[in-house]
Amino acid sequence: MREYFRYFKWVFIVLAALTVVLGIVKGVQGFAAMTGTHERTNTECATTQRVFDSADVLSDKEEKKLEELIARREKQTGCDIVLVTLCESLEEYAREIEPDVPYNQFVRIFAEEYYEENNFGYNKPNGDGVILVDNWFREADGKIHTWFCTTGIVKDAYSDADIDHILDEVYRYVENNPYRAYKTYVNEFYRHMTGKRVLNVNMPGWFPILAGIIALVIFVPANWKAGSGKKTTNASTYLEGGVEHFTNKQDIFLRKSVTKRHIESSSGGGGGSRGSGGGGGGGGSHGGGGHSR
Amino acid sequence: MIFKCQNCGGNAIYEPSRKRMYCPHCESMDSENIIHEDSMTKCGNCGAPMTPGQYTSAGKCMHCGSYIVYDERVGGIFEPHSILPFKLNKDMAVERLNQEFHKKTFLPTGFLSQKSLEKLQGIYVPFWLYDYQAHYDFEGEGTKVRSWRQGDTEYTETSYFHIIRQMDADFDKVPVDASFVMDDGEMDLMEPYAYQELEDFDPKYMSGFDGEVYNQSAPELEGRAQVKVRDASEVLMKGSLAGYSSIRPGRKNLNLNRNGVRFVLMPVWMYLYQYQGKTWRFHVNGQTGKVVGKTPVSGKKVILYGLTAMVSVSAFFYLIGGILGML
Repeated sequence: MREYFRYFKWVFIVLAALTVVLGIVKGVQGFAAMTGTHERTNTECATTQRVFDSADVLSDKEEKKLEELIARREKQTGCDIVLVTLCESLEEYAREIEPDVPYNQFVRIFAEEYYEENNFGYNKPNGDGVILVDNWFREADGKIHTWFCTTGIVKDAYSDADIDHILDEVYRYVENNPYRAYKTYVNEFYRHMTGKRVLNVNMPGWFPILAGIIALVIFVPANWKAGSGKKTTNASTYLEGGVEHFTNKQDIFLRKSVTKRHIESSSGGGGGSRGSGGGGGGGGSHGGGGHSR
Repeated sequence: MIFKCQNCGGNAIYEPSRKRMYCPHCESMDSENIIHEDSMTKCGNCGAPMTPGQYTSAGKCMHCGSYIVYDERVGGIFEPHSILPFKLNKDMAVERLNQEFHKKTFLPTGFLSQKSLEKLQGIYVPFWLYDYQAHYDFEGEGTKVRSWRQGDTEYTETSYFHIIRQMDADFDKVPVDASFVMDDGEMDLMEPYAYQELEDFDPKYMSGFDGEVYNQSAPELEGRAQVKVRDASEVLMKGSLAGYSSIRPGRKNLNLNRNGVRFVLMPVWMYLYQYQGKTWRFHVNGQTGKVVGKTPVSGKKVILYGLTAMVSVSAFFYLIGGILGML
């Protein structure tokens, strides 16, 4: 037993240290949440929900994790952060409000309306905050449209280029891993508003288990049979004087060739077109922009 | 021949810890007298019949326990050029073994207490030491690749070089064991020996130990020495080609010239242990104390440790994931 603990001494020390670090981080976050500088002053918003996954692209667990993340990020940024996924045509709905609105703006209308109806806003109804609407339904133009809508202080904080950037980040992952895409939306927003870097690690739940199994699969065969011993000679063991001599050593340059390769910048799921930023619905109180895929 | 103590007539043996001849009966030092005996079939001390093996050059009389060195197996064509005297005595070798056993994490718990010594032998193992002059002529084409990015374009530049190398390397005393009973792989692992302690051959060093003459001649075993020298030459050549991304050899010519070969005796302690019906064989380098041999492994321990490793790695990533997720 003593041998066992001696063998795993450093492993156990590292694990204990990480547990302590995790405890401290949780404690600090909890403390910061309690004494956060940003106090939510909006009393008219009836809901505490922020993730509305009508398209059902997230699992219950993922929704819960996103809600927790958003709760933290809201306190840190002083902004409401809302996510809506849909899977329905917004044509009728949007054209009723704005008759000639183009396809890619349906989501804009929905986002602005939804934000206002629910009285979102950290400081006051229809105040500081963002909403991301991702409509998984392909409208009559054959595309899926997404809108990032800004309100209050966020409207001033986001330029068109910034909006393109956050939507690009979301589109990097959205097709293969919606959870990661929406988590990126929340973290990227936080990074932009506070200037603090986010470690965007996305470790799938099965990864630690797989890593453990790999460790087992490597460990057992490696120790199952004892070797005879390690080799204690090398190439120069029997070399007289310990060195070889080169009587001729030349490296003659012959020619060189250069090849060029164009790097595709990775944005959108297959040629997403961009909507214009700064759509001015809701009496000019919202900013925002959209991407399509 | 037999080494007899002038003082008491007992059998004087070479004692590694004292580096002298020693009589265990009267504890005299350097009191030996050489008694030659021409017969290979009769003990020079008690006259009992003896049947030395085909390659035996020294051994113990089964009747009186005296150590005999066979004159005709250490003279003439069998006379070694030099000998590396034992530096570790029996107790020191056992100590080295135990140290090694204690380092083995997966040794079955019962091995240390339950094993029984089946055989213990200090053997002078016959070796050939080969000297080679290696000349390596190499020509080829090598590439160095450099790549960088500018905007949306990635550039890859490949430079081609004509490589010329002529290498001379002198290899000195490359050892190859010349004993059938010793496993080649295990004997290779016993290397290296510190050659500066090689002594001119003197049969007195063999008194107290077993010994063999070479079982095969130098030309017969030369192949193994050449493999070692070729492998080493390749490594040295490769070292001079560092920095190239790829190498296409054009001309490759490695010439080995044998400069000399010597027959020497090297000291090896051999231990055979019985444990759970199986024999476990260990060799200890009689000069450096290096231990070579496979130990039994406890499957239960390996699995227990493996499971701990699995749980630890999983826990590690869970914790890391938890911490990073909170930041």
